[in-house]
Amino acid sequence: MKKFWRCFVCNDIHYGVRPPEICPTCLVKNAYVEISSTEARKISGMTKVDFDKKKFLEAVERFAEKNEFQVNPDTEKVKMLLDGIFNNEQNHGFKFCPCRLITKDFAEDLKLVCPCNFLIHETYKDKEDGECWCGLFVRRKKHE
Amino acid sequence: MNKRIMFWARECPHCKAMMPYVDKLEKETGIKLEKLEIWHNEKNADLMRSYKPIIAPKCGGQLRTPTFFNTETNDVICGEVEYEILKEWALK
Repeated sequence: MKKFWRCFVCNDIHYGVRPPEICPTCLVKNAYVEISSTEARKISGMTKVDFDKKKFLEAVERFAEKNEFQVNPDTEKVKMLLDGIFNNEQNHGFKFCPCRLITKDFAEDLKLVCPCNFLIHETYKDKEDGECWCGLFVRRKKHE
Repeated sequence: MNKRIMFWARECPHCKAMMPYVDKLEKETGIKLEKLEIWHNEKNADLMRSYKPIIAPKCGGQLRTPTFFNTETNDVICGEVEYEILKEWALK
């Protein structure tokens, strides 16, 4: 089961089954101690981060940069998808994929939050021109 | 009653891409599809969810758009397909 962990040096928060061996923020070794969800929420709540479409797009572009996929070069398609992603966040609480529907089973629906783990999907896996179901991410061409 | 439903989403590019085919199909065959938008209409979303046991196994285990669903034959197509495939589904 995932738990909350706090770096005793710099208050970095980690949510996971086990803590990182080295704190990615202050680089101190064995620095994490388990904490309550309330404490984790209070600490992470100290930093307010708002994401508009531009910032989200920049984030997913950075995310894609070091991977074998890229954000779809079709900007019109991307614009439509971003509209859907943000409408879904406003109306349904999370950045759900605009091309799939939530089931109302929370654990199941977390799999639809963009970016989803599309690498395992049949629309991407083992396909040269693979893409995530909605098409926000496409496999990068080999020559690029 | 035999109903042919297209579950679609307003901001889904695949749905947008299929709309001209749907128009062509309706004109050519006279078959009308019930087009139900699922992200901005909770009633339509609930209806799609109610068909999950039939639809999901044929769509990667999920509810995806667009989904073309025949309520009588349970024939399902999801995603962008060629016109002939859509027509074949509609004529079943």
